[in-house]
Amino acid sequence: MNANRSNFLSVRDLVVEYHSEGEIVHAVNGVSFDLGMGQTIGLVGETGAGKTTIAKALLRILPVHSVENIAGSVMLAGKELMTLPEGEMQQLRGRALSMIFQDPMTALNPVKTVADQIAEAVKLHNNVSKGQALDRAKEMLQMVGISPDRAGEYPHQFSGGMKQRVVIAMALACDPQLLIADEPTTALDVTIQAQVLDMINDLKKKMNTSMIMITHDLGVVAETCDTVAVTYAGQIIEYGTKEDIFDRPTHPYTVGLFNALPNMNANVRRLSPIDGLPPDPTDLPKGCPFSPRCPYVTDECRRGAIDDIFINDTHTCRCIRAGRKEEK
Amino acid sequence: MAEATIQKVQKKQRRIPRPGTAKYVWYKICRNPLAMAGVIVIVLLVVLSVLSPHIMKYDYAKIDMSNAYRSPNTEHWFGCDELGRDILSRILYGARYTLSVGVLSVLISAGVGVALGSVAGYFGGMTDQMIMRVLDIMAAFPQLLLAIAVSAVLGTGFDKCIYALGISGIPRFARMMRANILTVRNQEFVEAALSITCSKPRIIVKHVIPNAIAPLIVEISMSIAAAGLSASSLSFIGLGVTPPTPEWGAMLASARNYIRLYPHMIMFPGLFIMLSVLSFNLIGDAIRDALDPKLKD
Amino acid sequence: MAPLLEVLHLKKYFPTSRGLVHAVDDVTFSLEGGKTMGVVGESGCGKSTLGRTIIHLQNSTDGKIIFDGKDTTDVKGKELKALRGDMQIVFQDPYSSLNPRLSVHDTIAEPLRLTGRYKGPDLEKECRRLMDLVGIESRLYNAYPHEMDGGRRQRVGIGRALAMHPRFIVCDEPVSALDVSIQAQVLNLLMDLQDELGLTYMFVTHDLSVVKHISHNICVMYLGQLVETCDTKELFSKQLHPYSKALLSAIPSTDIHHPKQRIVIKGEITSPIDPKPGCRFATRCPYAGEECQKAQRLDEVLPNHFVSCCKCREINDL
Repeated sequence: MNANRSNFLSVRDLVVEYHSEGEIVHAVNGVSFDLGMGQTIGLVGETGAGKTTIAKALLRILPVHSVENIAGSVMLAGKELMTLPEGEMQQLRGRALSMIFQDPMTALNPVKTVADQIAEAVKLHNNVSKGQALDRAKEMLQMVGISPDRAGEYPHQFSGGMKQRVVIAMALACDPQLLIADEPTTALDVTIQAQVLDMINDLKKKMNTSMIMITHDLGVVAETCDTVAVTYAGQIIEYGTKEDIFDRPTHPYTVGLFNALPNMNANVRRLSPIDGLPPDPTDLPKGCPFSPRCPYVTDECRRGAIDDIFINDTHTCRCIRAGRKEEK
Repeated sequence: MAEATIQKVQKKQRRIPRPGTAKYVWYKICRNPLAMAGVIVIVLLVVLSVLSPHIMKYDYAKIDMSNAYRSPNTEHWFGCDELGRDILSRILYGARYTLSVGVLSVLISAGVGVALGSVAGYFGGMTDQMIMRVLDIMAAFPQLLLAIAVSAVLGTGFDKCIYALGISGIPRFARMMRANILTVRNQEFVEAALSITCSKPRIIVKHVIPNAIAPLIVEISMSIAAAGLSASSLSFIGLGVTPPTPEWGAMLASARNYIRLYPHMIMFPGLFIMLSVLSFNLIGDAIRDALDPKLKD
Repeated sequence: MAPLLEVLHLKKYFPTSRGLVHAVDDVTFSLEGGKTMGVVGESGCGKSTLGRTIIHLQNSTDGKIIFDGKDTTDVKGKELKALRGDMQIVFQDPYSSLNPRLSVHDTIAEPLRLTGRYKGPDLEKECRRLMDLVGIESRLYNAYPHEMDGGRRQRVGIGRALAMHPRFIVCDEPVSALDVSIQAQVLNLLMDLQDELGLTYMFVTHDLSVVKHISHNICVMYLGQLVETCDTKELFSKQLHPYSKALLSAIPSTDIHHPKQRIVIKGEITSPIDPKPGCRFATRCPYAGEECQKAQRLDEVLPNHFVSCCKCREINDL
């Protein structure tokens, strides 16, 4: 989509379908995006939009027994991940690719000290001694703002925000080139969230890590991302730079999302919610997935798949109205 | 779209009963061949046991010394015992004792256990301490030993055997129920019930117990098998149902003297104990799977 | 106008094995009828406990709760039952706040039955009226919670509260578990109900943008104590307590062209078990000094603007 940037990660037509209770869930339906070195892309969307499935598909950690169909191409630094043998993929995970999960409480092993857990990740991917790995672990803890004195403590001795820092330290311990953060601050309080977001931004700059930030919070996106992909029903319905999306939201869903947000600066009494509910992923509507909730829906929207329409070089939108506006 | 989703959900509901209901459990059992086999075996045993006096050629209690120790043959399919009584007739007639001891004693343990466990779990504090400490003392003895102690006090006989097994099973059910109540009690809908002026007994009966009892239903079906086995054990050591009554355990006990010479006398009652225990366990497994929301498909 | 609710020096302590948890410590505020009081603070600051104590789901340790001119602190039995009709609660978690084995109409009919005001066909009529009032389609009359999305479940919870005909409702994070587009639907419903029925809300939340939207006055809580309370507009334009300042500056903004000057406070909320006297925010406060070790008082620094900080005037050049 953005040809003039050397793309470090390039995802093309990713499709994930899995079965649940005898029905096919169309979780991801043709997702394509690019990410440059040291850049951050935000995947924004509501519950069930397929954000986490996209991340898990990139890492190839979807539960094998329930996946029905997975297709498309994921190129990381010129290497196709989808067809890579599992052994090599295992090598990449944690080393080149790392993931931070939403809940720091379950991501840590309660019976091992935090330093041991980070050191284990280091040892797994680097040929170092136990002592070296532990030193690296302490260094990482220092970097995320935890005193190395606390390296020998267990997860339950840390508060929620501290645990999330440990998880981040663990994810960054092997200098990954790509970090996938799935709602890393959702479980945290605002003042702690602010600390963690600041830290992530600093580390990104320092280590030139590329990042995929998965969130439902447009505020978090505004603070951390360079490009934004708005997901709805397993599709990217609008894609562009942060400025494109925040200054010129075009898709009715994106516009609706901004309007539904209680605005800190405006003084309106009633909010403008988006009517209805997201579609059932086992039974997606024909044509535009947003059409049943869209105030501007026409027969054309329901006819067939909608193509991406370029609004400018960096900004695409999957809505037939986007093109019309340009013509006028 | 929302409309369509809900209609679809409702359509699905009509096809498959709502999880957690008795209908859903039955639906799941019907789709599990092993559990279905268990149901068929139990139903068959009950029906045959009830009908046995009318359909069997030989009376279960008729002594015929000329046939003593008879090996299985076309006349007496399972052979005869030391007094020449037809073993098949005795087994079928005796099914009513073994099965009803299992069912009735578990009903006693579960009924009292659920009530005590619910009260202890919901109110906590001193009430909890008092109930649970008494039950702890009971639970300190192995269940069979406790049953033996109880029957030693109550005496022998069919009904006493039921009480003995029923009482000795109480602590296990109470403990389980209390643990389930503790998790349900802290859910917000219980607080909501309190805020809409629901009385405490009503909260326990209507809001807490129905949401805490599912795991116990499994335990009940499994316990019926175990209680049947314990009943046989009690009879075997002479504390349960007394010899002339053809209880399976009692039959085993009296046949054990002849195990080398006439193995058929001990084999057939043993086989039936095994078969009924297996059936109840299979049904219990199926109920557990049906009630576990994490085990869909 | 006399306030509908007055809370005076309310305290709620919980004994634990590690010491006494000061969940709510000396909170005082008053709330006019038909208005909304927002209570904000981070997890563990005692805001939910405050709400539950006010509506008598938990007993207070000390202090007074005056509702509609009557001291309700120690009501029991019949009086408490009557009071429960006036004070209701809407819960945070739309999953655990509904009994999974009761259908929509059972859930809403339960309070109607218990109060004994409705019977037979009247009960069903009232049930349907309430469902209509909170915007649940009547075809969901027999639906069970697990068949509905979070927004609809939350509406059922609101319907159950309204069935008691309350005047005052504690909303305990009612939209935190919902997606943005659904959250807006529920917030609108709550505001419409307030206009229509003249309800008074205490809106407990950690989300400042939501609280700004819905409430007339705000209480900011930190570790069981009230640190600042004033009119909503004033708090967002002229917050005086250092913690309020930090809290407000920490909200991620969607305005990408005017990045906020953020006050990052170090450290995390300390434990509320047996806290020392003195300002509880002092360990994280950039302005903390020696006088902060002494117990703090809630002062009316500006008209109707109460702050509990001894350095407040100095910090804000007042």
